Amino acid sequence: MESSSRIVDDAIQALASFPGVGRRTALRMVVHLLRRPEPEVLQMAQALERLKKDLCLCRECGNVSDQELCPICMNPSRNRKELCVVADFSDQMAIEATSQFRGIYHILGGLIAPVDGIGPDELNIASLLHRVQKEHFEEVILAFNATAEGDTTMFYLARKLRDTGARITNISRGISVGAELEYADEATLGRSILNRTEYSF
Amino acid sequence: MELLRLHLLNYRNHEVLTLEFCPGVNGISGPNGAGKTGILDAVHYLANCKSYFNGMDAPLMRHGSDFFTLRGIYTTGSKEEEIVIHVPAQGKKTIKRNGKAYERVMDHIGLLQTVMIAPNDIELVWGGSEERRRFIDLTLSQALREYLEELVQYKQGLDQRNALLKALKGKPSDPVLFEAIEHRMVPAGNKIYQLRKDFFTQFTPYFESAYERISNGMEHASLHYVSDLESKEMQELLDEHRAKDVVMERSTRGPHRDDVLFTLNGHPLKRYGSQGQIKSFVLALKAAQFNYFVQQKGQKPILLLDDIYEKIDEDRAQALMQLVSSGDFGQILITDTHAERVKQHVNAPGLKTRFFTLDRNGNMLT
Ligand SMILES: [Zn+2]
Repeated sequence: MESSSRIVDDAIQALASFPGVGRRTALRMVVHLLRRPEPEVLQMAQALERLKKDLCLCRECGNVSDQELCPICMNPSRNRKELCVVADFSDQMAIEATSQFRGIYHILGGLIAPVDGIGPDELNIASLLHRVQKEHFEEVILAFNATAEGDTTMFYLARKLRDTGARITNISRGISVGAELEYADEATLGRSILNRTEYSF
Repeated sequence: MELLRLHLLNYRNHEVLTLEFCPGVNGISGPNGAGKTGILDAVHYLANCKSYFNGMDAPLMRHGSDFFTLRGIYTTGSKEEEIVIHVPAQGKKTIKRNGKAYERVMDHIGLLQTVMIAPNDIELVWGGSEERRRFIDLTLSQALREYLEELVQYKQGLDQRNALLKALKGKPSDPVLFEAIEHRMVPAGNKIYQLRKDFFTQFTPYFESAYERISNGMEHASLHYVSDLESKEMQELLDEHRAKDVVMERSTRGPHRDDVLFTLNGHPLKRYGSQGQIKSFVLALKAAQFNYFVQQKGQKPILLLDDIYEKIDEDRAQALMQLVSSGDFGQILITDTHAERVKQHVNAPGLKTRFFTLDRNGNMLT
């Protein structure tokens, strides 16, 4: 199904690349965009552009940031003895929203998934290992989705961090298998952070 | 458990179709291409969350539509159950039982059981080992909750391991990465072996007596489960073959290679069996599957007979029909190109029957 404009077709194809968005939804989105005033649409385009052009990743933790260091890493009142490792910044946001964690974070940028071509080298794992060696954390919390990839990544990191002296804990218990952190309700997620347990092989 | 009503929406060639079945024998006739097989497959789908014939959902969608929906109303004695499966072209399929959606698709599997007998079943004998594993998996997952859990667990690990082995291109890798992937495969692999082994202990006697009935005791047929795990447990297998797996770029040992050897008087069926013996063998596997479900779940599965005259000779088909009419089975759905043939063969006093005729476009005529 093609429109009479190449420009419209290109926009449909671009929007249809979002997860969960098919060609029909993409078409509706284009129809919507064409009806909106030009400044609004350009602002939207600029917001997307800046994601790639202006966004930095925090040099300490790998979180999305507008500056070299993110606000959490710069905050002197955070507990620098507790490190929480998450897959993506959306998980960090979910944990932050529970107000149950006052330590600092490390964002891997994904989970180990050879099926998708993602091994440890594709993630911020070397920087994590280096950071834990150097900073002498009392506790490293592994907070991943209860999926196969989350489980593999957790095992991998727990092994790699075993002899660093830090306590290795995980929060996955209490969240049902297959559940995603960012969709868990705040109370449940907050409780599992408080009730985190020693990782056992 | 019986299927009272079946609604199809955009499923294969059926835009909208409703069928009201009787608890006994239901004959569905119509020309080739009318979508008879699709009706049986829909009943299979409602129990197994996937097609018997197609691995993927996309080909099941009616041409030009972007979803299909299956709805079945079942009865278990006094209680009615409604199962609705909705499969969109984009996004996740959902399954609802009495209006409530399952959290995971696999949570539904095991509630309903079906036994399908179709012309291409002969592939169980002629096809590769994956055909026979598919039969084992289909049977066990409909009967045992934990089996499917272990299978999914193992499959996820195996896929990751094979992807890693491929990406390595023969080079050795971080042993911790292997360990991280394998630590899920090991308990699951051992458990699958144990469950399959127990399954054959139970299933083989059912099979042997079914074959004896079908062949009038002319020869002795049997099943022999073959697995890498017979001699070694999963961790040992992985440890011993990891270096070789890296070179081969795939996992060379494990329950994903399991097979079943079919024998006739102790000889391999594939080599020594006649056409007739092979057909009897396949029928006996299905009869045993039926009895296994009755024993495991305490309810008769729905029997789905697709175009049985197609690959079975008239005598054997007639014998099967007599068996079907005997009342040992529960609800049965039969398709055939000739309405009269089924009507003639299915006639026993007191047996409930209903017949449906489809036109070439899949519309109901009667
Ligand atoms: Zn930071």
